[in-house]
Amino acid sequence: MVVDDEENLLELVRGILEAENFEVITVASGEECLEKLNDVKPDLILLDMMMPGMSGREVCEKIRANPKTKDLKVAFVTVAKFSEAGMGALKDMKVMDYITKPFDNEDLVKRVKKIIG
Amino acid sequence: MDKDTSLIGDIERNRFLLILLNEEMYMDKIAKIAESMGKDKKICYVCLSKPYKDVCDELKKNGIETKRFYFIDALSSHYRKMRPAGNCTFLTSPTNLLEIKFAISKAVKEKKCDAVVFDTISTMLIYQQSSKIVKFTHEFLSEGTEKSKILYLVLKHESIPTEENERLIKDLNLFADKTIDMERK
Repeated sequence: MVVDDEENLLELVRGILEAENFEVITVASGEECLEKLNDVKPDLILLDMMMPGMSGREVCEKIRANPKTKDLKVAFVTVAKFSEAGMGALKDMKVMDYITKPFDNEDLVKRVKKIIG
Repeated sequence: MDKDTSLIGDIERNRFLLILLNEEMYMDKIAKIAESMGKDKKICYVCLSKPYKDVCDELKKNGIETKRFYFIDALSSHYRKMRPAGNCTFLTSPTNLLEIKFAISKAVKEKKCDAVVFDTISTMLIYQQSSKIVKFTHEFLSEGTEKSKILYLVLKHESIPTEENERLIKDLNLFADKTIDMERK
């Protein structure tokens, strides 16, 4: 599942990952992501950090707080540059990876494959 | 005023600090922070919760020399026409993040400010969503102010929505090198 408020980014990631035979669900907000998780259990959630409304950090905390979703794999895909202390907070939230935008397509695929295993 | 060596150390070591303040003793704490930044350091002080004149008076009252301060006042012009001041830029509105960002970059470059103090970032929540402030912070940290220290003063204040303020603090924590709670100082 890819969560981002930028439509172009959603389509870009969808294209890259579908070409590698991944099944991709895209949603445009944190709220939509949490609602969708009632129906689907994705192998990985690629989450933007800076979105209007609920931030990526907040979405991740809510995922971890829900017994039904707490073990889902989450990675951030974001332009944000976190501080060392911030990286520690991401670790506490069990964020698997942190992919910086703009990303290299091959690198994105490689990292997604590594997380999903 | 007693020098707080741990605060001095934190300011020296870190670039982006989040400083949590309570409404009580608010100005005393700000004076303490200003004192801890070093007497030779030039400070760009962004007034978001009080007009520049009031901040200036309060700093002087607390024994802080204001000559090394350059103020960006986002409030006063919103209410009345301001006469230009040598040590202050008056912005048209506290809601225009682009104008604030531009004024700070200009001040940092032209006045050679070593640090930028936002008094307070929580006040922005009256005008902006938390997500917009976080985005502003990210852009601000990566553009034009690379050599300056950034101090965000976060106020726990009755007029600021608590939930939004907590959300803002948690999100900014991901960017901040250190968060200091001044209630414990």
